[in-house]
Parts: sequence; structure tokens; C-alpha cells
Amino acid sequence: MRFYVTALLTMFFLSSCLKQSIPDAMLGIKDHGKVTATLSYKINGNAVNISVADADNQGATNYTLGCSKNPGYYSLSGISNAGETSFLFYTDSLAVGNYKYSGTYGDMFFIDYFNTAEYVHAPSDSLSFTITSYSNGHISGSFSGALTPLVTASTINNIFGDPGSVLITDGSFKNVPVFY
Amino acid sequence: MSLLFFFIIQANAQIGVMKLVGNNTKNYNLGFGAFIKGGVPVSDAGDVTLEIGVNYFPSKDAGEGTAMCPLKAGYRYTLNGTGEGFYLEPQVGYNIYGVTSMLDDQGYNVDLKYHGLILAAGAGYLFSIGNVPFDINLRYETVMAHGGSNNLVSLGITKSFSFGKRDNGN
Repeated sequence: MRFYVTALLTMFFLSSCLKQSIPDAMLGIKDHGKVTATLSYKINGNAVNISVADADNQGATNYTLGCSKNPGYYSLSGISNAGETSFLFYTDSLAVGNYKYSGTYGDMFFIDYFNTAEYVHAPSDSLSFTITSYSNGHISGSFSGALTPLVTASTINNIFGDPGSVLITDGSFKNVPVFY
Repeated sequence: MSLLFFFIIQANAQIGVMKLVGNNTKNYNLGFGAFIKGGVPVSDAGDVTLEIGVNYFPSKDAGEGTAMCPLKAGYRYTLNGTGEGFYLEPQVGYNIYGVTSMLDDQGYNVDLKYHGLILAAGAGYLFSIGNVPFDINLRYETVMAHGGSNNLVSLGITKSFSFGKRDNGN
């Protein structure tokens, strides 16, 4: 009998520690304080850092650093002095795991670095994002990859630079809010 | 698979009515669920149980709701030690599939999918009408995922299908 009482009390204790419902936790509807979202990486060794205090207080459609839900995909985007960093998670329901976009899928813009657009273009190019945590409506994780710079944009044929010449290393993101 | 079937000598089909409890659950109507449950007697008083089911909680808003598919293992212990009468049953398991569907501000459907650890504690009464065994039970269950939990209280009735008999020593 003591075992059952202990099991019951443990369950009530654990469930009471989680005061939100799962949907509310996933949507970030809660009573937490201000959350600072960060995204950082090195592009060919040059650091890019984005930090937003009170990240939940950004507009859901106009944010400095966030991830928004769209039909069929989620779009992570961050704005820094160097330009824009973006990544698309092609899924209907974002979850912890690895999301990789490779050059075999076709050209895709990911980073604007001081007015140079960096693409996944060559077959050997890729950008890989790993979400290690998705809790309370915020995602955290890491990313890395190799991109190709767009040298000249054209309406007919874009001219790209050396394939895989833009290395993305030490990429990490933390507490990035997911907007629905 | 045949080994599993061999050991599960008592299977139950259960239906239940349930209610989500906790913060921000007022918008949900009463839910309902269906379960299949198997048990292996390990003593005169106790059975190890395995249960899989589906729970559905419709929202008061059209087109919205929550569904979960729990897989749980438990230990059912009858208080009088006979395998019938009042019993207690703690369970632990995994939510194989959970989804909450809702509409966003633009009216698009959003599916929030999750899994998560399940803890449950139940009590019930095992009895027979004629030769047909029944089980009425009350259970509290929590599913934990993404830093939140879905908590529910369930009242269920079970009809048992026995593939074997407990050894009563008679």
C-alpha cells in the first residue's frame, strides 16, 4: 500500500510542477519573465551575434529574432548589423531533431552577410540545423554548414562564386520564440 | 508476437469518459476514450498490465481539440488478494502520438504534435455478471512534454475477454 501511495504522490508532485498544458507550453503562453533570445555563428571565421532581450514581446510578423509558423514550414529569421540569417524547417509540426537542407534540393537563400547573399547552391552545399530543445514555446540548438556566395544576381541566370566557400561554424541559437 | 499473445491471457476492451483538468482546460468538453488492455497474472493478487488507447477531447470551439494515444504498463493489485474486488493500479508509459488542433489568428489550422512520458494512478473494482468479468475504474493521468502537462481524470468501464484462468488452487 505504501508503494501505491508513494507512486500517487510522486505523480501529483511531478504534474503539479508543470503548471501549463502541453499546447500552452508549445505556444509559449505562460507566466514566465522576460526571455533573451540569441543566435550566433561564424561565417568564414567572422562572428555574427544576435541578441534580443524580452524576445517574446516582439511582433509575431515583424521580429528581430524569432521563428514563425507558415503552412508547411517554420521560418527562423534573425536580423543583425551584418544582414539577415534565415532557415526554413520544412515540417507541419516543429519538434526536436535535425533539419538539413542540401544543394541537391535546389538553390535556397539562407544568409545575407554585408550585402552578399549566401546560398545552398552546389550539390555539396548544405546547412544543417539541430533543435535540441523545444520547450515553453522556445527553441534552442545548433547549426553549421557550407554555402556558396551569389556574386551577381540576374533575372535569367545567377552567377555564383566558389562552391562551398562560405563556411558556417559554431552556430547556436537559444530561446528563440516560436510564433503562431 | 506469438510469445506476447501467449503471455497475455486476459484482454479487456474499455470505454471511458474523461475530463482534462488543470490550467486553461475550461475550453474543452468532456472527452472520451477507447482502450485495449492485456494482463498477465504474476500472483494471486497482482497482474502486470499493458494498455494502449486513444483519448479525444473536443474543444468548445469548432474544429479544435486534443487527441492522445497512450501506451502504458502497470501493476494492478487487488486489495483482498483474490484477483477480484477493489484494486489499485499505478501505470507508466509513453504517449505514442498526441496532437492539439487549433485555428490561428488567420483561421489556418495549426497542429501541435507531441509525445511525452505518461504517469497514471487508478483504482477500480473488478466484478462479474454471470460469467462475464467487468471492471469499473477511476484514473488520474498526466502526460508530460515540452515543459507542460496534460492532466486528465477518467471514469471507465471495462469488459474482459479471458484467454485463460487464474489459478485459484481449487
